[in-house]
Amino acid sequence: MVLGGLEKLGRLVLYSLEEAGKIMMLFLSAVAWAVRPPWRFHLIIKQMEFVGVKSIFVVVLTGTFTGMVMTLQLFHGFRLFSAESLVGSTVALAMTRELGPVLSSLMVTARAGSAMAAELGTMRVTEQIDALYVMATNPVKYLIVPRVIASIIMMPILTVVADFVGVVGSYFVGVSILGINAGTFMKNINKLVVLDDIFNGLIKAAVFGLILSLIGCYKGFNTRGGAEGVGRATTEAVVLASITILVSDYFLTALMF
Amino acid sequence: MFSLSSEAKVGLFVLVALIILGYMSFQVGQHGFSFKRGYLVETVFDNATGLDKDASVQIAGVEVGRVESISLKNGKALVVLRIKPDIQLEKDVSAAIRTHGILGDKYVEITPGTIKTAFIPDGGAIEQVNRPADIDRMLSQFALITEDIRAVTSSLRNVLGGEAGESSIREILTNMRELTRSINTVVARNDDKIADVVENLKSASKEMEGTFIALNQVAQGLKKGEGTLGQLLRDKETGEKLSKTISSLQDVTEKISTGKGTFGKLVNDEETAKNLSDSLAGINRYVNKAEQYRTYLSYHGEYLFDTSNAKSYLDVRIQPNPDKFYLLGVVTDPRGRRTLRDYTTGGVTTRVEEYDKSGFLFNAQIGKRFKDIAIRGGIMESTGGVGLEYFAFNDKLRLSFDAFDFSSDRRAHLKGMAEFQIFKYIYLSGGWDDFISNQGNSSPFAGISIRFEDDDLKYLMTTTPIPK
Amino acid sequence: MIKLIGLNKSFGKQKVLDNLNLEIESNKTTVIIGRSGGGKSVLLKHIIGLIKPDSGSVLVDGEDIARMNDRELNDIRRKFGMLFQEAALFDSMDVGENVAFPLKEHSKMTKEEIRKTVAERLAAVGLAGVESKMSSELSGGMRKRVGLARAIALLPEIVLFDEPTSGLDPVMAEAINQLIKETQRNFNLTCVVISHDIESIFKIGDRIAMLYEGKIIEAGTPAEIRATTNPVLRQFLTGSIEGPIKII
Ligand SMILES: Nc1ncnc2c1ncn2[C@@H]1O[C@H](COP(=O)(O)OP(=O)(O)OP(=O)(O)O)[C@@H](O)[C@H]1O
Ligand SMILES: [Mg+2]
Repeated sequence: MVLGGLEKLGRLVLYSLEEAGKIMMLFLSAVAWAVRPPWRFHLIIKQMEFVGVKSIFVVVLTGTFTGMVMTLQLFHGFRLFSAESLVGSTVALAMTRELGPVLSSLMVTARAGSAMAAELGTMRVTEQIDALYVMATNPVKYLIVPRVIASIIMMPILTVVADFVGVVGSYFVGVSILGINAGTFMKNINKLVVLDDIFNGLIKAAVFGLILSLIGCYKGFNTRGGAEGVGRATTEAVVLASITILVSDYFLTALMF
Repeated sequence: MFSLSSEAKVGLFVLVALIILGYMSFQVGQHGFSFKRGYLVETVFDNATGLDKDASVQIAGVEVGRVESISLKNGKALVVLRIKPDIQLEKDVSAAIRTHGILGDKYVEITPGTIKTAFIPDGGAIEQVNRPADIDRMLSQFALITEDIRAVTSSLRNVLGGEAGESSIREILTNMRELTRSINTVVARNDDKIADVVENLKSASKEMEGTFIALNQVAQGLKKGEGTLGQLLRDKETGEKLSKTISSLQDVTEKISTGKGTFGKLVNDEETAKNLSDSLAGINRYVNKAEQYRTYLSYHGEYLFDTSNAKSYLDVRIQPNPDKFYLLGVVTDPRGRRTLRDYTTGGVTTRVEEYDKSGFLFNAQIGKRFKDIAIRGGIMESTGGVGLEYFAFNDKLRLSFDAFDFSSDRRAHLKGMAEFQIFKYIYLSGGWDDFISNQGNSSPFAGISIRFEDDDLKYLMTTTPIPK
Repeated sequence: MIKLIGLNKSFGKQKVLDNLNLEIESNKTTVIIGRSGGGKSVLLKHIIGLIKPDSGSVLVDGEDIARMNDRELNDIRRKFGMLFQEAALFDSMDVGENVAFPLKEHSKMTKEEIRKTVAERLAAVGLAGVESKMSSELSGGMRKRVGLARAIALLPEIVLFDEPTSGLDPVMAEAINQLIKETQRNFNLTCVVISHDIESIFKIGDRIAMLYEGKIIEAGTPAEIRATTNPVLRQFLTGSIEGPIKII
């Protein structure tokens, strides 16, 4: 009984290590293929459109409402200390440092990371990936490199938008509805938020972009077992990428701030 | 309906985001002239406690610059201010460090001068510095006063406080009462006697007066050198000797304190002191290290470019003391473990290599370290081998060279690599694997490792970062 | 010449290839026949390095594909074309882009030349003018033919066909057989064809090989095969239920 449990645990640890190792290897191989010409810019642009442009809506929506809700909540707490004017800067700090990158990455994981896993998974089970190999086109270079590069570029850009609309939402609720003084609202943002907050958030976002695309591609690329396998790969990709994003956020924060 | 191409959509989106980013970066801190415009002015404060880089510089409450840097100069704080280019400071301005409110930030307040013709140039200095007459000094004064008060009250408390104090006071009071009562009775009984005593005292004091006058005369005589003692004290030679002795004594102490002479050197020389403390620290370190039994857990992945293979290493490194270690680990090699087998088809024998891909390869090595160089030996990837390592930059950089798999039918497996620490636990590496291979296995590789010490793991799991 | 030596391949406990040996001659058409699920597709994928053998060698012009790394494989695959059993068309692309893919990737043709070549290849498989249909909108037989057009688009030295005529009507099947035969002759290609269609194997095959229980049990010219005494092969060719081949 006890031994059985231990064995299961051991197997789980080995399995996770193996997965981590394989993802790392896929990353290194993607780097190796990415630096080797020819470069397919149109594929990267296509993926940038898919990952970035088509995610604008969800990112704007989550960003705005996060900013608005936080403002509403903070306002009632801060009023107890007559610190309403600090609401804006608190929301701005939270958005730029954490919520902007993390929430938009989670949204993009759900939208694009899952799609990557599903698309590559389908290509795997219908032998389209084999067909690429056969036509002397390396699928890592053709399929994975553009997705990873596009995600690394687009995640920070989406995060800029999320940060911005978050603060705009906060301004709207705080100033227009709750009646915080507009001048002090902006002045405190100006005083307490620094450029490094924004840029560190964007670096995080780039790392999250790498994580979500790499895991989405990895799960799709290694799909086994027909339509069911594709479904499983998609779910696993979203779960694993979300967890990895949240955990790595902790370590990135520890390293940066 | 017109539709945009992917390129146009992406381009448009990126452009909009960049504009937003530009706008945001102007709305947050460090904007305006933080981009290194304006000129520099130096000031020296006795104390710059609480003043930060980038703190505000104000005249009459209007920001005219920021603090560029704070450093130490001759035991005082040298504060360099960056002043907006359109602000001119008169030669006789004065600067002071002040605080916004009680808990507010520190800033530098500049009081305008009166000479309206001469101004401080770039790189110039503000001569007049006001001592902080603000909350800080008040607080420190307060602290002194309260300290005194506390000292007094605490000694009072020691006397009065507590049961012992109380009872002794009560005792004293009773004694006093009794004393006065008995004095009273004594006085009442011996009225006449007392009068006598008083009379006696009177005459005694008169006599005393006479004695004093005589004493005075003796002293005067001494001063003039009369009598033996007087002569001794007045003697010139003796006096000189005495003063010489005193001055040489002074010399010695001076020498000691200025660091001359062996003893003085020992006491005063900074280097000696540093040596001493260094060697103490060294001993300390050694003792500490000797006590340390460290374990490292590491994962290392390598991607071999030419053979498009990936290898993973999972190692435990046990280090009972700083110059000795054991290394245990498993390696996954997609090429697998090699065996040779012969096939015979139509009378022709073909020797075919077979690779068992399921199994792990093993590492079990023992190593010894001599300063910056370490040698290792034992089982490498399930064959015998030796390795050499060189450490530099506080062990941040590691160069290693391994040789193993000395089988007869092919060349030994040689591997050289360099590994550099980029973050606390993360290392990047690169090198050349199997570089004299005659099997086509030679390949450059890039790798990444994660290495934890057992303590690090604890640290990572328990310390929550506190954002500033 | 392609030479398979001592190939072994198992999936878990199932042994699919068992010390298989076969020589495929250059500039000829070799047909591989065998039971459904007997490992023909697996064998074909070994030839092009999509599956690596547990042991044994696959020599293509003297080079061992089983020992090659990704990059070397990538280079040698330029000699190959392959039609997959399920066509494996890229469903994110339309028919024209599918056929044009190898041309875009590996030839220096201009856009116009590519367009013309694509139209020619599609016409050859009886699908003129379907360039702009999405590949997900095609019937099974059409997919197969588009796959075929894509496989021979670059006229590679070696073409592997996994059941090119299955799922086609008899007239179309005959037309495809003709196309394979003609292309092979005109461009002197080496073709490996998997087929269950007994009639067509004798028409297009210069050599025929039978895969049974993980081994090639017989290989020879159509005449030799017709005259075989091997009971397994006899049963297979006549399609009778009686014989050494067990259905269950
Ligand atoms: N990737 C794989 N994983 C596990 N088993 C496999 C795999 N590919 C093929 N097999 C098994 O190997 C055997 C041979 O399959 P293969 O596709 O080669 O058959 P086939 O001869 O092409 O049959 P058919 O004529 O029906 O296409 C089958 O039993 C199949 O289940
Ligand atoms: Mg098949």
